[in-house]
Amino acid sequence: MKPILVVGGGPAGLVAAAGAAGVGRKVILVEAKDKLGGNPIHNHYSVFTPNQVDAETAMKEILSPVEKNPNVDVRLSTMVTAVEGEAPNLKVTLKGAKGEEKVDVGAAVIATGFEHFDPGRETQVYGYYEYDDVLTLLDAEKMLKAKQFLRPSNGQKPKSVCFIQCVGSRDRQIGNQWCSKVCCGIASQQSIEVKELLPDAKVFIFYIDMRTYGFWEDDIYWKAQEEKKVNYIRGIVTEITKRGDQLVIKGEDTTMGRPMEVPMDVVVLSVGMEPSPGTKAMAKMFNLPLEHHGWIGRAGNSPLNTVSTSRAGVFVAGAAGGPADLEDSTSQGGLAALKAVGYLNGLKA
Amino acid sequence: MFERTMARRPKEKRADFVEKDNVIIHGVDISGHWNRMHSPREITSYDLSHLEQVTAVPGAESMGWCYQCAKCIGVCPVDNVGNYGPRKLFRLLQTGYDLINSPELWECTTCANCLRVCPKQVDMIKIMPALRAKAVMDGTAPNELQDMFKNASEYGNPMGESPRKRFRWTKDLPEDVAVKDLSKTPEEVDVLWFVGDYYAFHARGNDAAKAMARVFNRLGVNFGTLGNEEWTDGDSQRLAGEPGLFEMMAEHNIEQFSKQTFGKIVTSGPHALNALKNEYPRLGGQYNVEHYTQFLNHHLADLKKLLKNPFPHKVTFHDPCYLGRHNGEYDAPRALLGAVPGLKLNEMYRCKEQGYCCGGGGGGMWLDGFMADHVNMRLSENRVREAVSTGAEVLAVCCPYEVSRFEDAVKSSGNEGKLRVMDIIEILDQSMGG
Repeated sequence: MKPILVVGGGPAGLVAAAGAAGVGRKVILVEAKDKLGGNPIHNHYSVFTPNQVDAETAMKEILSPVEKNPNVDVRLSTMVTAVEGEAPNLKVTLKGAKGEEKVDVGAAVIATGFEHFDPGRETQVYGYYEYDDVLTLLDAEKMLKAKQFLRPSNGQKPKSVCFIQCVGSRDRQIGNQWCSKVCCGIASQQSIEVKELLPDAKVFIFYIDMRTYGFWEDDIYWKAQEEKKVNYIRGIVTEITKRGDQLVIKGEDTTMGRPMEVPMDVVVLSVGMEPSPGTKAMAKMFNLPLEHHGWIGRAGNSPLNTVSTSRAGVFVAGAAGGPADLEDSTSQGGLAALKAVGYLNGLKA
Repeated sequence: MFERTMARRPKEKRADFVEKDNVIIHGVDISGHWNRMHSPREITSYDLSHLEQVTAVPGAESMGWCYQCAKCIGVCPVDNVGNYGPRKLFRLLQTGYDLINSPELWECTTCANCLRVCPKQVDMIKIMPALRAKAVMDGTAPNELQDMFKNASEYGNPMGESPRKRFRWTKDLPEDVAVKDLSKTPEEVDVLWFVGDYYAFHARGNDAAKAMARVFNRLGVNFGTLGNEEWTDGDSQRLAGEPGLFEMMAEHNIEQFSKQTFGKIVTSGPHALNALKNEYPRLGGQYNVEHYTQFLNHHLADLKKLLKNPFPHKVTFHDPCYLGRHNGEYDAPRALLGAVPGLKLNEMYRCKEQGYCCGGGGGGMWLDGFMADHVNMRLSENRVREAVSTGAEVLAVCCPYEVSRFEDAVKSSGNEGKLRVMDIIEILDQSMGG
């Protein structure tokens, strides 16, 4: 019985691996980094939305079924470098610390996820690489996990903090027209954490549309506004300048209909999602067509199919197929496992 | 968008300029625009101190919940004639506006149309009285209101009439129309009629009071009143920021009620209904209370037999905020109007839940002079225009504030002779033979 290949050890891949292994299939789980966990672990996520559970603790729930599982062959610091043949007879070359190895697999789940938009790449208007006190959600996440939210420029507690939404998302000029789905919730979640660490700080979120779908609306957005007194202001900042040692954000306060030029100690850029280098590489290697935004496409054109690609026996799960939150990623991971097992079982019949 | 309110903001960092009403220079009309030319357009800080102060006041917490959906603006009766609305207040607060010391604090009529549509339940009905109470303590309430508070506190009615004259309206009633004064001669009655200030003291209110007395007598209702011992219900004082005065009024009335034996209380006015039904219980006064339209609607079969004379007129009906939105009654007044032979009801487009406020609630009854500086027409004038547009000859009301309010508005909006304002009880009385 050929194993199922899972590429990517983040939330989608972990759940896919554990799912297939749980019904008795052998799984090879390939992870490019030296540790499983994906973005939540490698990028030091503080807490998960919307329930504010500690990210590291929560991740153990999906890590341990893989780590302790005799059916899962975990290959860390390993890359897929070549793919030959068609499922169920895929020959995949894995390159790890001990060199190259060719494995035969019956089916594959691509769970190579996203990477965070780099605000220095296309647009310099927010001065991310210019001003120490301009951060991204990633930088803030790391600081919040360490329970220390200080101005990088001087180590002082910031008196004013703002988030700028939609950085690298919903932007034709940059080429990323999609909404990254989670940033409104993550910024709101971070604003709650900032207020918990610094109750006297004035915290603002500048947005175009608040998109905190489902339970994130009241569990995160309303909570931030009503309980933590976070100030939501419609109109995202146009650009950032510096006056003395303080940042100045410039834009329009659209519900007041007035221009705005306000000093701010720390600015957090709510960077969105882009296909990760791994996702782009796997799309090529497995010869998977991309959907029109450049993420791995699903077969057909129906929202009812979330994991099947146009190649039989090859599935996609999580943010390799487009912006996804953790619920999307883990749900799709489970479904991809089920479909992969079903595909292999169907062959026998 | 906020030019008007901006112009009133404390004049920081700019000189005091003279604002003239009519100035045309080189053919350009710049009347009254001088301040605008010099007020800063740019927001340079979000001073949250006033927002924090406001949301720390018990009762006003929900002021901080607004997410700018702006549903309130579509139904706010004040925004309709000015530039004011709950979501705008929130933004002004967020940009450092001192709401508690601003004119906006007094513009809300507590009509509850915003609360009806607010997805976040930002509750202006609680927020406004709580913040006004602070301003009243600070002595910054408009003079007209302070006079009204003083009157209520000294005379037990907001008009400053002698409390000994409260029962005087009954004097020229014929002998067969009896109105008992239970405070003088207590006896068990089915209905304790809470007459109210406007019915007792205002000339047009007297007309309605007499009509009510005749209708009750014809119906054979066993009823009485508190005579001179009735004080104002206190609800307008409460909503305008005087909770202490409200309690004083309420406690007096509760004490008077406790001396009487009655089945239920029937109020002339929706504000008294609201006070007695929803506010007196927390002070120990628990009663079976009905507005007179509700009471009469419960006796509709008997009433119909007495409605003999046709009233062949087109009538439109104004829903009082405190009968409708606050207490959920839309049907009783319409049922009464529907029972009058010959009467044709033409509804206004803003009716029932969507009814437009007359401007008299929440203390607004005493703020017409103050409001004139902040709106382009009175709310009552706006409403009268709508009433006229239905083609109605008669504007029917059932709140004692409204006959005088709307009669003034009929004149000031240039509709004199086009529209008569009548209390529903007057129409019923007329149909019974007057």
